[in-house]
Amino acid sequence: MSTEDYDYLFKIVLIGNAGVGKTCLVRRFTQGLFPPGQGATIGVDFMIKTVEIKGEKVKLQIWDTAGQERFRSITQSYYRSANALILTYDITCEDSFCCLPEWLREIEQYANNQVVTILVGNKIDLADKREVVRQRAEEFADTQSMLYLETSAKESDNVEKLFLDLACELIREAKQNTLDNSENSPMPGEGKSISYLSCCSLN
Amino acid sequence: MPLPRLPNMPGMPYWLTLPNFPNFPSPRTLLLDCCTILDHQVGGGVCGCCGALRPRYKRLVDNIFPEDPEDGLVKANMEKLTFYALSAPEKLDRIGAYLSERLSRDVTRHRYGYVCIAMEALDQLLMACHCQSINLFVESFLGMVRKLLEADKPNLQILGTNSFIKFANIEEDTASYHRSYDFFVSRFSEMCHSSYEDPDIRTKIRMAGIRGLQGVVRKTVNDELQANIWDPQHMDKIVPSLLFNLQDETVESQSPSPEAEKDKESPVELTERCFRELLGRAAYGNIKNAVKPVLMHLDNHSLWETKTFAVRCFKIIMYSIQSQHSHLVIQQLLGHLDANSKSSAKVRAGIVQVLSEAAVIEASGSVGPTVLEVFNTLLKQLRISVDYELTGAYDYGNIGTKIIKEHEERQLQESVIKTIGSFASTLPTYQRSEVMLFIMGKIPVPGIYPALGSANTGFEGSRMIQVMLLKSLLQVTVGFQTTNMLTALPSSFLDPLLSFTLMEDAEVRLLVLDILISLIDRHDNVLMFSSISIITDISVLKLKVDKCSRQDNLFMKKNAQRLFRHIYLVCNEENSTQRHFESLFSLLALLSIELATEEVVVDLIRLALALQDLAGEEALPVYNRCAIHALSAAYLNLICQLTTVPTFCQHVHEVIEARQKEIPYLLPEDVFVEKPRLPESLPKPEGDIVFLQSKIAETLGGSGYNTERLATPYIPQITDEDRLSKRKSIGDTISLQLEMDSRHSPEREQKTPTEQITFETLKQAIVDSVTMEEQERERRRLVVERFQTAPFEEIAAHCGARASLLQSKLNQIFEITIRPPPSPSGTLTAHGQSRSIPVYEMIFPDLCVY
Repeated sequence: MSTEDYDYLFKIVLIGNAGVGKTCLVRRFTQGLFPPGQGATIGVDFMIKTVEIKGEKVKLQIWDTAGQERFRSITQSYYRSANALILTYDITCEDSFCCLPEWLREIEQYANNQVVTILVGNKIDLADKREVVRQRAEEFADTQSMLYLETSAKESDNVEKLFLDLACELIREAKQNTLDNSENSPMPGEGKSISYLSCCSLN
Repeated sequence: MPLPRLPNMPGMPYWLTLPNFPNFPSPRTLLLDCCTILDHQVGGGVCGCCGALRPRYKRLVDNIFPEDPEDGLVKANMEKLTFYALSAPEKLDRIGAYLSERLSRDVTRHRYGYVCIAMEALDQLLMACHCQSINLFVESFLGMVRKLLEADKPNLQILGTNSFIKFANIEEDTASYHRSYDFFVSRFSEMCHSSYEDPDIRTKIRMAGIRGLQGVVRKTVNDELQANIWDPQHMDKIVPSLLFNLQDETVESQSPSPEAEKDKESPVELTERCFRELLGRAAYGNIKNAVKPVLMHLDNHSLWETKTFAVRCFKIIMYSIQSQHSHLVIQQLLGHLDANSKSSAKVRAGIVQVLSEAAVIEASGSVGPTVLEVFNTLLKQLRISVDYELTGAYDYGNIGTKIIKEHEERQLQESVIKTIGSFASTLPTYQRSEVMLFIMGKIPVPGIYPALGSANTGFEGSRMIQVMLLKSLLQVTVGFQTTNMLTALPSSFLDPLLSFTLMEDAEVRLLVLDILISLIDRHDNVLMFSSISIITDISVLKLKVDKCSRQDNLFMKKNAQRLFRHIYLVCNEENSTQRHFESLFSLLALLSIELATEEVVVDLIRLALALQDLAGEEALPVYNRCAIHALSAAYLNLICQLTTVPTFCQHVHEVIEARQKEIPYLLPEDVFVEKPRLPESLPKPEGDIVFLQSKIAETLGGSGYNTERLATPYIPQITDEDRLSKRKSIGDTISLQLEMDSRHSPEREQKTPTEQITFETLKQAIVDSVTMEEQERERRRLVVERFQTAPFEEIAAHCGARASLLQSKLNQIFEITIRPPPSPSGTLTAHGQSRSIPVYEMIFPDLCVY
């Protein structure tokens, strides 16, 4: 008679420059809507969504952080407990891409070292304004052993896939850890070739 | 539904208590056991109704929910449930689990009325059962609160928070091992930042968040098994969330109508209360973790620049934390100031301002063990700021130098100096004189202390640092009152202060005078002499005068000549202004009030007359000569009244009257005005408009003053060390220039070649040594007598005192090795070496104090 209504609970934290669309990604995923004229997030925002993957209920606690510099100290405090980080940039904004190394340093400094990091290029609906070519981002993600995905919160492209892929990856890691508590768990990003979408379904 | 009773309970047969039923439980337990059995009967249908198929606790729980959620909790049934829970505490966890199950279901089905009812029931159960094994029940309770907090409906979040707060106020007596509040801290912090569209609801959510955080703190702060709430991972969330709401004042207070908010606490007030509570609970080891996020927050939100919020924050902090920890906050602020050395002047000024205000609050608590570190940091900042101002940019290896704003640096410097004053005002006298020595040791005095200014700022740099440090020193001396001038102002302090190099620059010179005034004035008499005038009757000033103590006497014996010489030489400088002469007058007046013995009075009169002679020479500009005449007249007018010798007074009065008639521009009333009317040239005044040494000697002789000494004209003596320091200062090219100029002036020529050994001084020496011998003999006699007659304890104590005397002598020697006095043997390089190890300066005085 457990009060727990899920099999897995994962904490996901979104980070990235201000205005790259973190809140929109979360809103699209949790509420299925694209809020036009979304204001800047204050401090940190919280959403929860439970999905079912291969018959297992996975509860995703999503902490959507403010990109503004002034909230950096509070947002940093949320990295530590995160199971996964979604590092977001705006494909139409070179600056947001250039800041990625800085974000990676922050992750290194504040996040748990087993955290799963995924790089997301948002706003692919604005293809004609693209400033960061896909290949460049992919190469960058490769060197940092991150997963890479391009999304559009507006068109709902890849948004579900983003969170579900992440959930699958997290489950896999969790199982690995419970099966063998040894150190030979795969490096994050190793399972990149496997397509999860085929085996995942939304509840 | 009442508890079922056994039918024959009241009339229970007496045999039940017979010894052949030894283990029979008490009637009440029996009753409950029966109930339990009934609960678990499945299918038996004792009562014959469907409800009985379910366990009893489930039925009881179900019954508290009305048909229509609008009706609210069924009170009667709730009482039954409570009674049941109280009677069978072991069932509490199952009740909790079942309630929680229902609640989750209701949340997902959006039946919010039932959710509220379930929470109400939970709260009541919690209140009723607290202290008694609620441990397991709490697990399901927290599960439900978490569930509510996960919901995106503001009402549910607030409902959950309220329940949590009630729970937080229960003091549990059993420790709980696996309870985690991480989620609550994260979620409540997030709620504090709520950006809900509707401002009223937003405020409610934020306030709920604040209360929730308060609850978590209350719940965990005393529980050693709990994850330490003071860990940075929690503090970094809690503190910025509180500050965010604390700072929101300006935004919030404008929007809602003030009437509606009157009786309710505003979010800002609530936040402040929580913040105070949090800080009040912080132990020694936790202060750092609590204050660090405050500094970070102020950095990130650029709140140092505007100052008001930062000051407010730290006032709250200083007043809330336990006072014995307040020095930790000061230390952290100082550390932060250091870390921000390369930030803009505004940021640094903000931190300094906060420090200054915090220092005053700290006064009630302990100053902390690191007094000199405080001053060292502040002086360092002063120096950095001077460097920035002079070089015009922050060139500390940063990519792209920032252009600094000169006036901002200036403001910062003023602010630092003020802060030094605030800190000093909290110190006891002995520490203050230590700080004075410390600051003095930092002042670049060529020849005594080599310039410490960075190479690229050169002469102007060291001059500015001199000015800044002297200003700081002046701040420290404000209100400084020592009974023992001799120990408070050792020669290692006075030597550099009275040195020649601090005389050339007009601003520096004035500062030195003001410092001397501030040190000597111990009865707040200085205000009476802030302007020069001929005071016809000094009794109206109501001066506060104490008799000159023995220590003061010794101090004057040792230092009077140096002070007088300083005054004389300052008068001789050309670039003096009215302020200088006013300060000189104050200094002379205070010397004669505070430290005057007969001998000192005689010397002071000689000095005043010597100044008159100096003014008679043609070398100085006319203004200076008139001013010196006026100064001398004003001072003689004052001292004649202090001596209360009528004939002396009469002479002075006559001269002043004569001047008023013939040459009013030799009196302060005419010289020290905005546009003094001065003659083109000033011949050496003669006749009845000058004060006559012979006449004064004659008048005072009748009152027992030393007429022979009085009749000898005063000539400033230049000792070996002075000439040495003068020679050394030649190393500085610009002072060399000034040096050359002054060498050409005739008065200097006149006095430089002398080692003035007059008959007077020789006689003085003989008289001194005779009295010394006598004193020594007397002292020996006393010692012998004491060792013969005194009890053992007294002798022991006496020896102890001598040991401490030795200690202080040793300390003096240490001091000398650290700050070499201007002795001829010390070469410049040796000075440089010892000065280059600042660690000594920091450690030594600490050891000395503790």
